[in-house]
Amino acid sequence: MSAFFRSREAMLIVMVISFLIVFIPYFFNVPALEEFSTTWITIAAIVNAFTLVLAVYSQFRRGIYFIRTGKRAWGFKLWMLIGIILMIIFATMGMEKGPYSWAMQAIITPLSSVNYGILAFYLSSTCARAFRARNLKAFALLVAGFIVLFYQAPLTGAIIPGIEPVARYFTETFAMAFARVFAISVTLGAIVFGIRVLLGKEPMVLGFTREER
Amino acid sequence: MSEERNIFRMLAEIDRRIIYLLLFIVVTVPILRPIAMPLAVSPDTKQYYKVLNSLGPDDTVLFVLDTEFSGYMEIQSGVLASARLIIEKGAKMAIACSHPEATGIPPMMFSYLRDVMEKYDYKYGEDYVVLGYIFPNEAAVASSAQDFHGVVKEDWRGRPIKGTFLDGIHDWKDWSLIAIFSTGVRSDAFIRHYGLRGTPMVINCIGVMIPTTKPYVDTGIFKALLPSMRGGAELEKLINAPGPGLAAMDCFTFGHYLVIFFIIIANIGYFGYVRRRAER
Repeated sequence: MSAFFRSREAMLIVMVISFLIVFIPYFFNVPALEEFSTTWITIAAIVNAFTLVLAVYSQFRRGIYFIRTGKRAWGFKLWMLIGIILMIIFATMGMEKGPYSWAMQAIITPLSSVNYGILAFYLSSTCARAFRARNLKAFALLVAGFIVLFYQAPLTGAIIPGIEPVARYFTETFAMAFARVFAISVTLGAIVFGIRVLLGKEPMVLGFTREER
Repeated sequence: MSEERNIFRMLAEIDRRIIYLLLFIVVTVPILRPIAMPLAVSPDTKQYYKVLNSLGPDDTVLFVLDTEFSGYMEIQSGVLASARLIIEKGAKMAIACSHPEATGIPPMMFSYLRDVMEKYDYKYGEDYVVLGYIFPNEAAVASSAQDFHGVVKEDWRGRPIKGTFLDGIHDWKDWSLIAIFSTGVRSDAFIRHYGLRGTPMVINCIGVMIPTTKPYVDTGIFKALLPSMRGGAELEKLINAPGPGLAAMDCFTFGHYLVIFFIIIANIGYFGYVRRRAER
């Protein structure tokens, strides 16, 4: 009996049924199925949340291994584990006021903002080094990028109104076309992958190591 | 010219610390001494304003903070200006978050907008509700689109939402507008479960998301797009409510011009030194 529940077939049956429970209400109005679908999705979300516990556990195992063996930068691992423990304790003391709220407002949000803000410096340095007209194609890219970057500066649109149609032409033709190509490719790839998973052709998703030939 | 002393070599191999220092100066000085440079309003912002301006007291807006706190700094002006406009139009607002860091934004938002809320008598429970972190994943977005009260029963402080204006919200059909303020955390899930079903949506996103989001505006899934901090500043100008966006436009302008300047001098250095050295 347990062998059946561990088998690939059982997992595929559960996966296909779950897919249909969520997929059918999207196209057909079946109130009972819609309600069950919502409950099913909520169950899945809760189960998904439990994987966080696994993630924290594996971080602790790895971190303790790093610290015990004295690997390079083990101090940062120790700091990370202390931070996780403290935030868990703070969260149990209430999230609206108290140490959790203080940690979020005084430490996490400013550090998060700094993390984003310093990207501007790296970006500027990278632009200076990467945008070089090494050949004709690079020169064309540079000219287009130059026009769009110039237009993005707010003052430019105000003093040179004629630049707007040119910059918008680049963003609304070339940039949008490539964005569409990217979105369509990713979506088609995801659909194909999903069908392969439902047909059992991707055993790694179910936790099996050998691919079906 | 000798190999050691070469202006072109200096330009091609400019020390990145000089870039960092100059960028720091051009960004900091305009904040300390604002210049208030002129600003043109783009068609995207005008369209966004038109959509929000068409709201009324009978409309209910789902105000989604789909952002970490780091990215919030870029869309802060759009968030505050949009919220101000929604309050002025008298529309009801349900604020939801799809990232834990975004839960700190509503208190800051309403603290900033306290004057306009008092002016328009905008009250909690009657006109707005903060739902908190209710969109941790796509499953939550999908569930809320099919059965809102099956998923959301309380606000962020654990008080029941029964008896508020949210009693009229059952599924994706009942929202007048979904306003997403996004750094890309969960915006695609809203497209799939709300936008494709026909719920009107607008988005204020960070700069890097604009090219990938524009096709959805073109196809009508998003009614309008407010582009990044500049869009927020333009919206502040349109609604005549200067805020953090307009304050940042001076350093935004100088920062852009500095990056363009470095690209130009790097190319001068490239052609004058690197290219010639390669040819020799």
